[in-house]
Amino acid sequence: MEPTPASQKPNALWRFFSSVRLTLVLLILLAGASVLGTFIPQREGMSDFAHRLSPGMFKVFETFQLFDVYHSLWFRILISALALNLIVCSLNRLSSTVRRLRALPRADRSKPFEDTPPRRRFTVSLSVAEAATRAQDLLRKRTVRHARKESTDGVFLYGERGRFSVFGVYIVHMSVLLILVGSIIGSVTGFEGFVNIPEGEGTETIRLRRSGAELNLGFRVECTEFFVAFYNDGTPKEYRSSLRFSAGDESIEGAVLVNHPYTFRGVRFYQASYGVIPGNEASLVLHRGTSPVKETAIRARRGEPIPLPGGEGTFQVEDIREDFMRMGMGPAARILVHPKEGEPVPFWVFLHPDRMEARFSEVFKRFPQLNPSSFEPYTFLLKDIERRYYTGLQVNRDPGVPFVWSGFILIIVGLFISFFMSHRRIWVRIEKDGDRAVVSLAGMANKNPVGLERELDRLTDGLREHLGAEGQAS
Amino acid sequence: MINTVILSYITFVYFGAFVAYLFMMVMGREFFGRIATVTTLLGLAGHSVAILLRWVESYRLGIGHAPLSNLYESLIFFAWTLILLYLLIEWRTRNRSIGVVATSLAFLAMAYASYSPNISERIQPLVPALKSNWLIAHVITCFFGYAAFAIAFGLSLMYLLKERSGNGGNMFIRLIPRTSILDELNYQLILIGFLMLTLGIITGSVWAHSAWGSYWSWDPKETWSLITWLVYAALLHSRLIRGWQGTRIAVLSIVGFCCVLFTYFGVNYLAGLHSYAKA
Repeated sequence: MEPTPASQKPNALWRFFSSVRLTLVLLILLAGASVLGTFIPQREGMSDFAHRLSPGMFKVFETFQLFDVYHSLWFRILISALALNLIVCSLNRLSSTVRRLRALPRADRSKPFEDTPPRRRFTVSLSVAEAATRAQDLLRKRTVRHARKESTDGVFLYGERGRFSVFGVYIVHMSVLLILVGSIIGSVTGFEGFVNIPEGEGTETIRLRRSGAELNLGFRVECTEFFVAFYNDGTPKEYRSSLRFSAGDESIEGAVLVNHPYTFRGVRFYQASYGVIPGNEASLVLHRGTSPVKETAIRARRGEPIPLPGGEGTFQVEDIREDFMRMGMGPAARILVHPKEGEPVPFWVFLHPDRMEARFSEVFKRFPQLNPSSFEPYTFLLKDIERRYYTGLQVNRDPGVPFVWSGFILIIVGLFISFFMSHRRIWVRIEKDGDRAVVSLAGMANKNPVGLERELDRLTDGLREHLGAEGQAS
Repeated sequence: MINTVILSYITFVYFGAFVAYLFMMVMGREFFGRIATVTTLLGLAGHSVAILLRWVESYRLGIGHAPLSNLYESLIFFAWTLILLYLLIEWRTRNRSIGVVATSLAFLAMAYASYSPNISERIQPLVPALKSNWLIAHVITCFFGYAAFAIAFGLSLMYLLKERSGNGGNMFIRLIPRTSILDELNYQLILIGFLMLTLGIITGSVWAHSAWGSYWSWDPKETWSLITWLVYAALLHSRLIRGWQGTRIAVLSIVGFCCVLFTYFGVNYLAGLHSYAKA
């Protein structure tokens, strides 16, 4: 820590949050908490695991919010503490960093020259003044913030570069804060939801993921077409939903693919899933006795009365299911026959009656409501049902994203600056030696000493050439 | 496919290079070192050709994509980045002693990819979620990061070995560079690794935002990459601010690489969004 002037003695809290030891502890605690969250099933995944816990353990897990570590109060406190730590540390150091940078070091310092290796010292047949002028030319090209000082010993020149590299670390820390701010903005003002839209239909409301509540978007989104393609080996190749967004007079079409969301009025739509739902039509074949009435199937729309061929009354399809009772029994349709006299007769017919028979023997004889021959002398056979795709869309709004993105760009810039750039200060001394001048170079850097050595060597070579040095290093 | 055949041979080329580096270290003869370097270079050349062939082959199959899409391809690419990075370091530092670690790690990765029965070497078509330009940026940055951390891990092991035996020890120990050099190189590689890991997390995050609608969803792989990031961030702070050096940094670097390994392999045993990286 930089010593703080006694006049503004910091209080204990400030000291606590300005400690780098705290930073290390927080980083390790956050890492540990994150590890915990990857081994304990979280949120949706918790139920299986929770059932295996004893009631006491369950209570412990629940109290410490271990089923939702990353959104728990204590995890948020850790992150807030890290943010505070970061702000306090940065403020603490910033003033001294700026002070150090403002001060232009004296040009006539001799300390840097104390261990100048022989290869950075050479002699030229020029007057000290002439050599100094020429050296200054070159130094001006390669450095900034120059200074020159003449003394009885000779002439001292100073130049530096990369002064702003010391701010790299502040850029990194500020961008971490920016990312955190973006995530807070997103969670406070944004939402995450989903909606399933059958082909040809539309909606204005979606369901929120966290609360399960409905949300009105304020505009209508319709799925005009859903398309799915597969590779030869059966793996999915592409999912695509053609959507139409309409609000008032405005109507826009847009396609949504995986990796290509579509944004309308700040709300982003993502291709998340798809599925099949039964449509409104069932294809039926009617048998009278044992022979079919007609070879071709009748296409019956849901709710539409169709006269029976013998004039005994009418029938209609009441309901169409993709999977009867969700037991893998396949598609089924519910038929309701209205005879001319007497009560209506309801019963289910199946696309795969063999599956029912295999699972429950004699099922059709035992249960009239499952018997396709419930209305004598007819037998109804289900040949097919109409199917429609529905598209599963993830629907999000996150106004924090631009902040997060800026944080991402800045953190890379900041890391690059603070890792690979350094503040290099260079001194050149020109001394009188009879009617000749002796030139020596020295430098200091806040990091990367090897890089400084290389730069000094390059500058030495440049100066030797520029000043017309004789022979090799003396 | 010819590319997988070449790659399975390259596995042994790296093994040969490893043996040569080991001979150099045990017998202290520069001759073996030169053989090792040439072998590694040849291995890298063949390795690069095989990766390119695989890329071309995928287009011939009509499912063209960069060979960076499943566990097999990622292991092959990891070994490639490891060797490339190592050769660059060997060239810059003119020291071959890290070669033992680099080639052995590359050999293990290649052998695991080529000979594990659980890993399919087939070129598979890209599922829709992987069809993104971010795939290439994400995988390349992550694996350069992993490779830098892997070499830092090797340097840390060497540091601990050298440190424990002081100035004495056998030829092997004596040929390891001075601890101060190991420490500095370890640190430099961690800087590169950290920058690359940060880039890897960021590219993954931007990609996730366009594929799944959220730039961060605490998926186990995501979380473990953050854990790795936090561990190396702690290392950097302890070194830069608290002045830790040497043994402590070496130990932290080893811990960090264990996190890398868990992020890469261990996470596959936990459920999550990165499931295509499993086989």
